[in-house]
Amino acid sequence: MNNYILSKKLKTNELSTFYSFLFGLLIAFFIGSIILFLQSNNPLEVFSLMIKLSVGSLNSLSNSLNKAIPLILAGLGISIINSVKLWNIGAEGQIFMGAIALNLVYINVTIGNSNLFIFILLISGFLGGSFCILLPALAKTLFGVNEIITTLLTNYIVFGLTIYLVNGVWKDPNSLNFPAAAYIDKSVYLPIVTSKLSSGFLICIMFTFIAYYLKEKSVFGYELRIAGGSELTALYAGIKSKQVAFIAMLIGGGFAGLAGAIELLSQTHRVSTGLSQGFGYTAIIVAAITGMRPIGIFLVGILFGALTIGGSVIQTIGVSSYLAEIIQASTLFGALIIQFFFNYEIKKVEND
Amino acid sequence: MIDLQFLGLLNATLQAATLLFIAALGELIAEKAGILNLGVEGMISIGAVTGFITAINTENIVLAAIVGVLSASIFSSIHGFFTVILKQDQTVSGLILTILGISLSSMIGKSYVGKKLEVKIYKFGGANEPNSVLEVFLSQNLIFYLSIILLIIVSFIFNKTLFGKRIEAIGEDLKASNSMGLNINKTQFVATCVGGAFAGLSGIFLTLSYVPYWTDSMTAGRGWIALALVIFGGWKPLRTAFGALLFGFLEALGPRLQTYGFEISPYLIKITPYVITIIVLVVLTILKKGNTGAPKNIGVPFFKENR
Repeated sequence: MNNYILSKKLKTNELSTFYSFLFGLLIAFFIGSIILFLQSNNPLEVFSLMIKLSVGSLNSLSNSLNKAIPLILAGLGISIINSVKLWNIGAEGQIFMGAIALNLVYINVTIGNSNLFIFILLISGFLGGSFCILLPALAKTLFGVNEIITTLLTNYIVFGLTIYLVNGVWKDPNSLNFPAAAYIDKSVYLPIVTSKLSSGFLICIMFTFIAYYLKEKSVFGYELRIAGGSELTALYAGIKSKQVAFIAMLIGGGFAGLAGAIELLSQTHRVSTGLSQGFGYTAIIVAAITGMRPIGIFLVGILFGALTIGGSVIQTIGVSSYLAEIIQASTLFGALIIQFFFNYEIKKVEND
Repeated sequence: MIDLQFLGLLNATLQAATLLFIAALGELIAEKAGILNLGVEGMISIGAVTGFITAINTENIVLAAIVGVLSASIFSSIHGFFTVILKQDQTVSGLILTILGISLSSMIGKSYVGKKLEVKIYKFGGANEPNSVLEVFLSQNLIFYLSIILLIIVSFIFNKTLFGKRIEAIGEDLKASNSMGLNINKTQFVATCVGGAFAGLSGIFLTLSYVPYWTDSMTAGRGWIALALVIFGGWKPLRTAFGALLFGFLEALGPRLQTYGFEISPYLIKITPYVITIIVLVVLTILKKGNTGAPKNIGVPFFKENR
C-alpha cells in the first residue's frame, strides 16, 4: 500500500506569488460570473460596466486611486508587523483612531499656516494609529498575549468609541439624523492633484517606498527578519526581538492611522461611523495576497480600490455592491490554492 | 411582586446569551482540535440568511433550521479545506471566510430585507407576559433549551469520553497524537464543520427568533464576541456559558440603563465585553504564566513528516 505525505519545497519559484494572484483573480471573476448568472445578469455586461466606471475616465480613475489609499497604507502597516511574524487584525480600528486623534488635535489646536497645520494633523493621525495598537503591543511583548485577538477586539472598542463621540460630545447639531462630528474647515483639506485625485495618493507613494526601504534595505528590516525568526538566532545576532517587535507594531499601527487621517482630510471631511467601510479588513487581503511585499501591496491596492468603486457603481443597475467584496475574497482563496502547489509537493511513500 | 423591568432584563439577557453561547461553543470545539476559525461572523451570517429565506418561502421552521445549520457547516468546510488540507494560514483563511460570508449573505438576502416572518420557533410556556423568574425561563423557545443540552453534551464529551480526550490531544500535541495513530486531518476537518454548524444554529436563532427579520450585516460583531468568549471561558464549556450570560447581560443592559436612571452612555456599555475580554486575557496570561487554557497547537498546520 502506498501512502502520500506532504512536504514543504525547499525552493519556491520567485514569481509564485504573482502567478497565484493572477490565477486567483481568474477564479474570482469566474465565481463572480456564476453568481451574476444565477441572478440573471449578464456577467460580461456587468464587468465591462465596472471597468468603464472605475478606470474609464480621469474622474473615475482618480476615484479608484483615492479608494486605494487606505487599502495600501493599512496593508503596508500590516506587512511591516508581519515581518516579525505577528498579525495586525486591528487596522480597521487604527484607521478610526487616526481620524479621532486628528479631530481631537483639530478641535484643540489652531495654527495659522494651513500647510503646517495639515502636516501636524497627519502626524497626529499616525500617532493615533500607533496609540491604538499600543495596548496589544505591550501585552504581546511584555506578557506574550496573543495579538490576533487583542488587535481584533480593539477594533470594536474604537468603533464603539467613535459611535459614542459622534452621538455625544462631538455631535454636530447641524447634521440632523446622521450622527457625525462637525466638518473640518476647507483650509485643511488635502489639496487636489488633478481631476478628483487627492494629494493623499502622493503621500501613499512616498510611504510605499518608505515601507519598501524599511523592510528590504534598512538595518531595521534586517532586525525585523531576525526577530521574526528563531529566538536563538536573534540572541546570537544580539538583537532584542521584543523591542524590535514592539517598534514594528507601533509603526504598522501608525500607517493605518495615517490612512484614517488622509481619509478624513480628503474624503469624508468629518468623523463618522462611515469613515472606513471595512478598509482595514480588505487591507489584510491585499497584504496577504502579495506575500507582504510593499510594491505588490501598492499595485493590488489600486486594483482593489478600482474594484470597490466598480462595485459601488453597479448598484445603479440593480447588482449588489457586495459583488466587489466577494471577488476580493475569492481572489485570495484562489491564490491560496495555487500557492499550495508552489510551496508543497505530495510525495509517495512506500509502506513496508 | 417582582419588578417587571427586571424580568424584561432577564429575558433579554437569556436571549442574547443563547445567541453568543451557541456560536462560542462551536468555536470552542474547533479550537480544541487546534483549528482557529476567525470566520464565525461570516458563518453566523450564512446560517441566518439561508434559514430566514427557507422560513419565508416554506413557512416550515424545522426545514429552515436544517438548511441554516447545514449551509453554515458546508460554508465552514471552506476553512477546513484551506487550513486542514492545503495547510494554509488559519488567520488569513478565517478572515476571508468572515468577509466572504457577510458579503455573500447580503447578496443572497437582498430581496428579503424587511420581509416579515409568519412562523415562530416553538415555545413550551405560553405566557406572553411572564410574571415570575420561572415563567421567564419557561417562556424561552426551543433553541434556548437546546443550547443547555448542547452544553451538557459537549462538557461530557470533553471531560468524560476518550473521543473528547483524543480531540483535545490533537489540539495539544500533534506529534504525540500522530504517533498514537489518531487521524488528525479528519478530526480537524470534522471539528471545523461542527463549529460551522453551531454558528449556523446561532444564526437561525438570530433571524428566526431574536430579531426576527433579515438585514445586511445584522450579526453586528456578535461572531467576534463569540471568539472572545472562548478565551474568556478558558476553553471550558461551562465557563464559556457563564461568560455568555455576563456578555448577554451587558448587551441587554445597554439600552435599559437610562430607564434605571444611570447617566452612563449605552454606547460605552456596548464596548465593555471587549474591554473585559482583553483584561481577562492579559490577567490570565500573567497569573498562569502564559497558560490561559489555550490548546497549544492552535494555528499550527499538521504534516505527516513532522514526526
